Amino acid sequence: MRGGVGVRGLRFLWVRWRVVLRLAGWSVVEAGQTFLTGYAPARALDQGFLAGRAGLGLAWLALAGVGVLLGAYGTARAYAAVAALVEPLRDRLVERVVGRGVREADGAALSGLTQQVEIARDTFAGLVMVSRSFAFTAVGALAGLVSLDPLLLLVVGPPLLAGVALFAATLRPLARRQEAYLVADEALAHHWGAVCPGLRDITATGAEERIAADTGDRIDAELGTARALAHWGVLRVASLAIGGQLPIVLLLAAAPWLLDRGVTTGALVGALAYVTQSLLPALRNLVHGLGTSGSRLTVVLRRLAPAPSRREAATGPCGQDSSRDAGPPPARPGARRPRASATTPAAPATGSPLPATSSTPPALALNAVTFAYGPTAAPVIEDLDLTLRPGAHLAVVGPSGIGKSTLTALVAGLLRPRQGTVRVGGATVPSAAAAAQRVLIPQEAYVFTGTLAENLGHFRPDPGPEAELLAAVDAVGMGPLAERLGGPGARVDPAALSAGERQLVALARAYLSYAPLVLLDEATCHLDPQAEERAERAFMERPGTTLVVVAHRISSARRAERVLVMDGTGTAYGTHAELMRVSALYRDLVGSWAPGPAGGSEPALALRDADRVDAVAGPGLAGDGRHVVAHGPVGQVQAPGDLGDGGPLGGKG
Amino acid sequence: MTTRADTAPTPPLTNAAVQHSAGRCLALCLLSTASTAVVLLLPAALGRTLDLLLAHAPATRWVLYCAGLVLLAALLDACETVLSGTVDARTTAWLRRRLAGHVLALGPRAGARFGPGDLVARLVGNAAQAGTAPAARAALLAALAGPVGGVVALGLVDWRLAAVFLAGAPVLTLLLRAFARDTTRCVADYQRVQGRIATSLAEAVAGSRTVRAAGTADRETARILRPLPELSRAGHRMWRVQGRAAGQASAVAPLLQLGIVAVAGVLLTRHRLTVGEVLAASRYAVLATGVGVLVGQFASLARARAATARLADVLEQPAPAYGNHQLPSGPGRLELRGVTARRGDHTVLDGIDLTVPGGTTLAVVGRSGTGKSLLAALAGRLADPDAGEILLDGVPLPSLPHDQLRRAVGYAFERPALLGTTIEDTIALGLRSPSPARVREAARKARADDFVRRLPHGYATPCADAPHSGGESQRLGLARAFAHGGRLLVLDDALSSLDTVTEARIADALLADGSATTRLIVAHRATTAARADAVAWLDGGKVRAVGTHARLWRDAGYRAVFGDGGAG
Repeated sequence: MRGGVGVRGLRFLWVRWRVVLRLAGWSVVEAGQTFLTGYAPARALDQGFLAGRAGLGLAWLALAGVGVLLGAYGTARAYAAVAALVEPLRDRLVERVVGRGVREADGAALSGLTQQVEIARDTFAGLVMVSRSFAFTAVGALAGLVSLDPLLLLVVGPPLLAGVALFAATLRPLARRQEAYLVADEALAHHWGAVCPGLRDITATGAEERIAADTGDRIDAELGTARALAHWGVLRVASLAIGGQLPIVLLLAAAPWLLDRGVTTGALVGALAYVTQSLLPALRNLVHGLGTSGSRLTVVLRRLAPAPSRREAATGPCGQDSSRDAGPPPARPGARRPRASATTPAAPATGSPLPATSSTPPALALNAVTFAYGPTAAPVIEDLDLTLRPGAHLAVVGPSGIGKSTLTALVAGLLRPRQGTVRVGGATVPSAAAAAQRVLIPQEAYVFTGTLAENLGHFRPDPGPEAELLAAVDAVGMGPLAERLGGPGARVDPAALSAGERQLVALARAYLSYAPLVLLDEATCHLDPQAEERAERAFMERPGTTLVVVAHRISSARRAERVLVMDGTGTAYGTHAELMRVSALYRDLVGSWAPGPAGGSEPALALRDADRVDAVAGPGLAGDGRHVVAHGPVGQVQAPGDLGDGGPLGGKG
Repeated sequence: MTTRADTAPTPPLTNAAVQHSAGRCLALCLLSTASTAVVLLLPAALGRTLDLLLAHAPATRWVLYCAGLVLLAALLDACETVLSGTVDARTTAWLRRRLAGHVLALGPRAGARFGPGDLVARLVGNAAQAGTAPAARAALLAALAGPVGGVVALGLVDWRLAAVFLAGAPVLTLLLRAFARDTTRCVADYQRVQGRIATSLAEAVAGSRTVRAAGTADRETARILRPLPELSRAGHRMWRVQGRAAGQASAVAPLLQLGIVAVAGVLLTRHRLTVGEVLAASRYAVLATGVGVLVGQFASLARARAATARLADVLEQPAPAYGNHQLPSGPGRLELRGVTARRGDHTVLDGIDLTVPGGTTLAVVGRSGTGKSLLAALAGRLADPDAGEILLDGVPLPSLPHDQLRRAVGYAFERPALLGTTIEDTIALGLRSPSPARVREAARKARADDFVRRLPHGYATPCADAPHSGGESQRLGLARAFAHGGRLLVLDDALSSLDTVTEARIADALLADGSATTRLIVAHRATTAARADAVAWLDGGKVRAVGTHARLWRDAGYRAVFGDGGAG
């Protein structure tokens, strides 16, 4: 993996050889300054000050000063060249993070974008600067040594090489410690990220000790890695001592020998200057910078660009929606279970009232579909058969979390059934043909910062003529909103819209799509009942439309030709009237009284506000809205219709 | 940031932290001072050796001195590295442990005072910064001694050299200051573009189901990335500005040093100095320019102190004290006597008197902001009232020992924070002896069993992978409360995200279980209030009425409480 990052890094540099060359060019200017660090004082001493010619000495030093200024200019330009390496890397990381965030609905992408990408940017820049600076300083200093006297290289070179070699050898274990430390530190931060918002719950459950113990473990783990890192720091000091300090001693020890062989006083002083002023600081920067930045960069890059194998794990199931990809491969032929075992349709046989004509394929056909979120998990949908002819109108009802959204996800091809097949308009799901024939509007409406026309045309290759757009806006009851926003060309700020207004945008967008099968998955839950009815009717009257509504209120079910009741262990299918007769759950949902199978202990309730409730439409409710029924120890109240919706589920957060 | 950090002397917390590693800090101080002394001696020794060598005099002893000093410097440096790293790590861990313990003891009080995000920042970033304070302080003497020693040594070599340095140093500082110039604007530009991309990304992540179903992920990605070239331009600008500043900064010290060497060279021609002394002077000039480093060190010490002050802020919050009264066996009778609670200047609850007889259910209703949740928090001592007292079976809550209080009161919330490794662990949080059977029974009662079993690994599903729709979270939170048990159960709007059928089923199970549990239920829905034995109607910080829902329903004002929806 580490190698992977390294190889990718080299390829990244290889493609940008021009920039690398430019960087090298400016670095050579800096190296020129390094060259003068030792060479100019040496000549200043030998030819100037020691020869009694102060002017010449000062001239050499002035030359070194010019070198310093040029070197500073080189440094400034080198930064610009580094930018040409770093910014493209940042661009690529941002592209990757955004791409993955959009595809996998990964909320972590946001912190990836604002934090990890920035860490990568800074550490990569640091890495380039430090290694570049060391390389060119070394070249400048060694060239200087050779020009002063090649013998000096013989004294300084070997220990320098040994020091760098020692550092190189320890780089990997050191980086591992650094990484372990970063990981432990992150684990601790992550832990607190969960604990701090949950302090109330910790106190309430009296779990302080347990959490404190967990925290303590993580603190200890981090302390352990930090200690190890501190101890490994000795190796850095050793590399520095060998590469940077030892040459000083060696130069002194070898001085008589060197002087005998014609090395001048100035050359000796210059050599000492190279070691103490150029090589030692550059080596120090390398030793301190490379280990830290390198491992930090590796860790961050690994997180931002995980190897393909990790993606599976990353897209774990979560929530009703989105990122559940993990479904096992589609139907295993031969493994099919005998039909109609677990699913006993409580109502007339599945799909029978809607015989499909032989010429046109059904708008939607589910055949013995079973789905579970994991191999060991209990199935959410089991052996479900369902056929809808073109133009049909189905409502799906059931308690929250029962699998209604899973059903729409299966139809939309976002999930794959463990067994059975799903066909949309005759095309097997998933396929492009099937995808083109359906549109799914989920509860959480997607509105993005952009013009209204862009938002409405999201499902089409182009927004189309404005008249058509306005007709759709009008059909779903979004007219006043569109007017308030300032027409199709106006910019929309999603944060300024209410949840209901966002849903209207999503509905108009779905209306404009070319798909005949429309799946409204609680897409109207933030609208009031009248607005909801208008929107649903718009789709009922939309030409050639087959409508599947996951009902938020029972009134949606009453408008539909057929209703599918989901209840974990089984499903029931039929018309409203049929289901009122045969499905206890459906009666519960509608809010009428059922002679409870469990001995009448289950009181009928006014099923009204929040979720799937529409008391007004339900039969058996008193019209005055103040129907108080004494039942058992607690008074039962049928609250009136003014409860509206505004259910706290989902949207309000 | 914190004004106190600037005005007050060293925060006592730093002293405590230093004391925690007193021996190590002392050793570090001695080591680093010794190390600096060695570093200061070395140039003089080098110069002397060089002079002897150039004069072809016997110099073996001096070469060995130099070798010894170099070796000693390396050894001291190694010890210092290990020691300062260890002290930093130890101190950080110590501060974090102290702070974590205190934050947990404060509980929701800490969250309310500082906010969760801020607390995390203090525990993670500030603690790490503050952790460097003792080692930085211990090494400060040495850090000071370096540059000062350099200047003094220059003066000892020749006073003119020191004079050149002191004249040139102000220029150095001025130019270094130029570093901070106009970077802030580029950074702001950069962050603005970055913010735009982040906003679009957040929108797309929230609307992912639409995007995935429509297969428009690529198009959306392209749209979100549209400002990227602008980001790139701002980024390039940042590097250019930074490069200019770095170039400037990198020129100053070598120029100053060259100046000193030039003066030393002139002195050499006049035989005032030897070659070795010129070499020494050039080294001392480098050491003296370490002033720039010293400025950085002071700045980081100041940051560490400011961070320490932010930790002290948290530690200064008084943690609730617990008594040692034994809770008598009882039905869980809850009494509030003259309870007043303020939030800031605002009196949220004003002299509340309320009694919930043991084994009964009281619903608390009222418009948003009338203090229902605060009342729920007070009932189980998640917060303390500003006046008045709350008694459980006749014992004031502060008199109860922590464990007895927590065992006696269970809580479920509107938005529970689900802590724990797996779903099972989450439900069992805080249990002394968790058992799978207890967890499953509680989950069944909370109507969570069905959906938990459908998760990829059932009860063993890691919490991070678990569903967190409002209704599902609430049911897990309820299961946790049911598993917890206790004589008083407080449901703070804990059914609000459930569909009415599920709510009815849970409420039935809750009310029909026949246990002698007292229940306090904060409710937004009429149906929930209707199930309770009595309803307390809060209005304007006071109890406006207590009675059955049926009786209260005759009051139009009461009905209006439910009229504005259940939005929390």
